Amino acid sequence: MFQVAVTGGKGGTGKSFVATNLAYWLSSKLDRYRLVLADLDVEAPNDHILLGLDELGKREDIDIYFPKIDYSKCTSCGACVKVCDTGAIIMGPGRPPFVFPRLCSGCKACYYACPYKAISPNSKRVLGYTYVTPVKAGPALFTLVTGMIREGEEHTPPAVVAAKRKALSLKPDILIVDTGAGTGNAISAAIQGSDLVIAVTEPTPLGAHDLEAILKVSRGMGYRVWVAINRWGIGPEDEVATLAHRYEAERIYRIPYSRGAVEAYSKGVPVIEYRPNDPAAKALEALSTDVAGLILEKLGGGVQ
Amino acid sequence: MALRMGIPSMETGGLDDMVADRFGRAKVFTIVDVDEKTGKILNVEVHENPGYQAGSGAGVKASQKLGDLGVKVYVGPNPGPNAYAALSYLGIKIVTITGVKVKEAVEYALRQLREEQ
Repeated sequence: MFQVAVTGGKGGTGKSFVATNLAYWLSSKLDRYRLVLADLDVEAPNDHILLGLDELGKREDIDIYFPKIDYSKCTSCGACVKVCDTGAIIMGPGRPPFVFPRLCSGCKACYYACPYKAISPNSKRVLGYTYVTPVKAGPALFTLVTGMIREGEEHTPPAVVAAKRKALSLKPDILIVDTGAGTGNAISAAIQGSDLVIAVTEPTPLGAHDLEAILKVSRGMGYRVWVAINRWGIGPEDEVATLAHRYEAERIYRIPYSRGAVEAYSKGVPVIEYRPNDPAAKALEALSTDVAGLILEKLGGGVQ
Repeated sequence: MALRMGIPSMETGGLDDMVADRFGRAKVFTIVDVDEKTGKILNVEVHENPGYQAGSGAGVKASQKLGDLGVKVYVGPNPGPNAYAALSYLGIKIVTITGVKVKEAVEYALRQLREEQ
């Protein structure tokens, strides 16, 4: 299997835009391989929107551990409150502990800490959902796996891990993971195990700042990194390019800010399909072709 | 009778410090014991807030701290939804005020409590 992660640090730089175009191109050109696109931006997944899908496919619950306290055994000793790292358990004087569901990350530390075995070992709650959706768009044929947390939930990493596991269970030859913004645990869990990390950024001061953060994470995890500067042309690229060199990004791609890209994006069609001769489509095609080169290097075979 | 108040405070804590503009991530708590009848301040303590730099659940951690310190009245900015639930669960009364000194907040809270009675 070949895993490529599309990430970037800053939000709104075009991670999903690049990921959906990459999935479209790779599955069209390398059609003997099974391709899965995993949308792991679990707070706001939108690959299905960019692919023009009306609805998502088969839904399954993402269950995480949730402590259920047996109040007949609980002595209000406070061991669970002390050990809870997310501050999800509270206890008043002379009152039993109470758990805030949405603050609980399901780490189970309270279960292990309880000296009276008053906390159940295997109770669960639903954190979110995974959806498996077959995608057919022109010559492209692949599977979209979407992870989504329920509204108001605060802990994304368990949902990212669950959705990624779902994607892997489909036994893909090529797995594209599209991460959310940021550089926290939910992001490192998503990019873990990648053969290639593509950091999508934009030529702005914030784009540069957050690019540095994600480059530190990716390089720190020992991964090969390429940088894609999306909306290229809206500002000077110097800062972004300097960072790419400093953190040993092997390649830099420039995806011009173009009318075709914006139109395709708003219509929910990959720009490579919508307007193949648009400069943004050309840049994405060059990027995809190089990714295909790496995939074939690892998996064998040729481009059709 | 002495009434124990907890006031999230901006910098150093104490009667002359400003009330913090947020609860869960306030730097410190000023704990004030005040005589309910005379309004006389009997004791002032400053405690660290475990929620100050917490990764998550700051409001609940802060509330738990106030509960552990035996606070009966919270005086400070509007608590967030989790902190609100936590303070209520702990049976801590909530008096909201911000933008004033701790000392003024204590006086304000006393007036509020008297009006309620």
